[in-house]
Amino acid sequence: MLSTVFAQKGINFSKIYSGGRKLGFCVDSSAKSIYYDNKFPNQPNTSFNYLPEVNNISIQAYFDRKDDVRQYRYTILADNKPIVVNKSINKKQLTDIETPDLMSFTRLGVLAIKGKNITTLIYNINKPLDIYKSVFYAKPIPRVKIVLFSNLVAINQGEGFTNLIAPKERTKLSFSKKDIGLRIIKNKSDIDYLYYVLIKNKLTNKIIFRSTYWEYGSYIDANEFLPYVKIDKSIFKKSGDYEIIIQPFLNEHTPLKEIEKYTARYTLSIILDEEKLFTNRQMIIFGIITPLLLAAIFGTSLFYIKKKQAKKLAQQYKQKEIVQLQLNSIRSQLNPHFLFNALAGIQNLMNKNEIENANRYLTKFARLTRNVLDSKELISLIKEKTLLDDYLQMEHLRFGFNYMLSAPSDLDMENIEIPAMLLQPFVENAVKHAIAEKGKDGEIAISFEKQVSNLVLKIIDNGKGFDTTQTYNGLGLALSKNRISLLNTIYKDAPFVLDIKSGINRTTVTITLTQWL
Amino acid sequence: MRVILVDDELANLENLQVLLAKNCRTVKVVAIANNIDDAFEKINLHRPDLLFLDIQMGKTTGFDLLNLLTEKSFEVIFITAYDNYGIQAVKSAALDYLLKPVDPDELMAAVSKAENRIESKMNGEQLNFLLNQLKRTEPAAPKIALPQQHEIRYVSVEAIVRCVADNNYTFFYLSSGEKILISKSLKEYSDLLKPQGFVRAHQSHLVNPKFVKSWLNEDGGILLMNNGDKIPVSKPNREMVKAALRK
Repeated sequence: MLSTVFAQKGINFSKIYSGGRKLGFCVDSSAKSIYYDNKFPNQPNTSFNYLPEVNNISIQAYFDRKDDVRQYRYTILADNKPIVVNKSINKKQLTDIETPDLMSFTRLGVLAIKGKNITTLIYNINKPLDIYKSVFYAKPIPRVKIVLFSNLVAINQGEGFTNLIAPKERTKLSFSKKDIGLRIIKNKSDIDYLYYVLIKNKLTNKIIFRSTYWEYGSYIDANEFLPYVKIDKSIFKKSGDYEIIIQPFLNEHTPLKEIEKYTARYTLSIILDEEKLFTNRQMIIFGIITPLLLAAIFGTSLFYIKKKQAKKLAQQYKQKEIVQLQLNSIRSQLNPHFLFNALAGIQNLMNKNEIENANRYLTKFARLTRNVLDSKELISLIKEKTLLDDYLQMEHLRFGFNYMLSAPSDLDMENIEIPAMLLQPFVENAVKHAIAEKGKDGEIAISFEKQVSNLVLKIIDNGKGFDTTQTYNGLGLALSKNRISLLNTIYKDAPFVLDIKSGINRTTVTITLTQWL
Repeated sequence: MRVILVDDELANLENLQVLLAKNCRTVKVVAIANNIDDAFEKINLHRPDLLFLDIQMGKTTGFDLLNLLTEKSFEVIFITAYDNYGIQAVKSAALDYLLKPVDPDELMAAVSKAENRIESKMNGEQLNFLLNQLKRTEPAAPKIALPQQHEIRYVSVEAIVRCVADNNYTFFYLSSGEKILISKSLKEYSDLLKPQGFVRAHQSHLVNPKFVKSWLNEDGGILLMNNGDKIPVSKPNREMVKAALRK
């Protein structure tokens, strides 16, 4: 039967390919891609021939003179089904070949192979375990599928697997301390040995693992053990993405493009426990403790911030209190100057028997005194003006100078308030140091002015003047300057500006209360 | 006008008699008293039109005397040497007072005012109001007297939303929505109401913080009242107003 198909089928018998060990083969002359005699480290007696374009094949067995041809048997399987079983070699059909080794061959058959997997097994009956296997593969090589990933753990005597994960486009796999590696389990095929597993570090693009070592066991699918490759976790130096590549091993002349057709690629995202700072348990504990700790820290800092703020506020308040006390003390220090002068003025009236005037000045004096004793910080402009008038009237009594108090009619004297006794010391200075000696020629002009939103208070005298850069022993001026700077710590938004200009026969003191109106 | 003078110091009694004789011709002093028991008897005996009453007399006060009297059909001008709590109460009752030493001009003004009031017969009510205010133990929600032309309004401080100055006059805005014009300056009411927590937001505005809804940062600071009114806050007062609102 086999011999009858000879000659036909367009087989080119002049080109013989090595089909592994005892076998050679010839194929149709039209076939171009012939990947033949692929050997596999894990299958030393197997030869794999990939013949995607071959329609017909002629398989020959070759023997040298030392071989006892009678002891050989062969079996041919088509798609794993036997078509020839344990057939002996017909010595009569051997044809000698003119080679130095004096070889001879016989055709085992010419077969239509397209779309089939033809496997030839040949062995010597004296060594029945040394079966030479040649596979002629004339259908597309199946692309491998990874069925599962699993973590590999060391158990008492050996290893076990845990954590079976079906592959996704990107499969996450974490190694705990117990894990020793992983297994890649692929689907079963009749040519498992053809495939090798590569692992590439996606970051460095380097191949860090290569294996064709498929083992069988543990995983069963459709009554068959599934092949798996073991990978030690030590190859993964760092957590990150790794590419699992499973591709068929064809001979080195096979174009990459061709191989890629049958290549399966998976991304494995490895998380190493060594890099994990905490175990799950620790994570849980920290998960509880950390928020508590943070809350505690937050709470404590809040407490301290609040305490600090309270302290700051208290300090500010205290500061204000101190300022207030200082202001009060300055005000009371101003008193004696004019109080006793005023008393002296009244005494003078009594001695002159001017009862009416004495009465009038006494009530003025009382008003001034009351104002000094009064703890009120603010005083209306009208009251300040009245007090200045009271004071100047009393001094006028003594020195006889002229004075004038003026305010524009559109200034709300009743309702605008200023710190009490603001002008008094300057007016007192003008009287004592400038006007007193001028007598009836002395002049003092006091004005309350409005300059947009500023309130401007002016005291002008025609006294001899003084050096404004020098400090004088008289308490009045220094105290007033001090008071104004203290007031500025209270009225930050509306600072008081003191300006003193002094020349011959004219001294002008200006106090500007900015933004006061 | 028949007058009784009550003061624990004889010198003061003499002095006041001289000043009245010199300056107030309508006044006839019918009696003087230097303690409240004496005064009580003399008032019941003489039924005066006007009483000059010293507030602080040793351990007793002029208010003690008034409490003894069931019928108060006379005007009172209080006299005090120095502003104390009593004078605050007198002010909030819109009653008249003089400070020692007495200014002849102020004396004349007070006497002529008293004469006018005797005609309108409003006095007893005001005195009772004053005594009630003084009896109050807790300082919360006191009232003040707002004298209008023909009547005196007694208004709970809590019912005053705000006051607005109009020169020497003051407009009171009450929580009832009423607006009252009083012929006293805002400064006077500012002094009276500040101890009750009122805030002088502006030279023309005195505000009860209870009716302030919020602080608006527009125009450098504005108080938005519950009824939507906007009150300006002048620059020097901002910190003080903010501090007061925080309370």
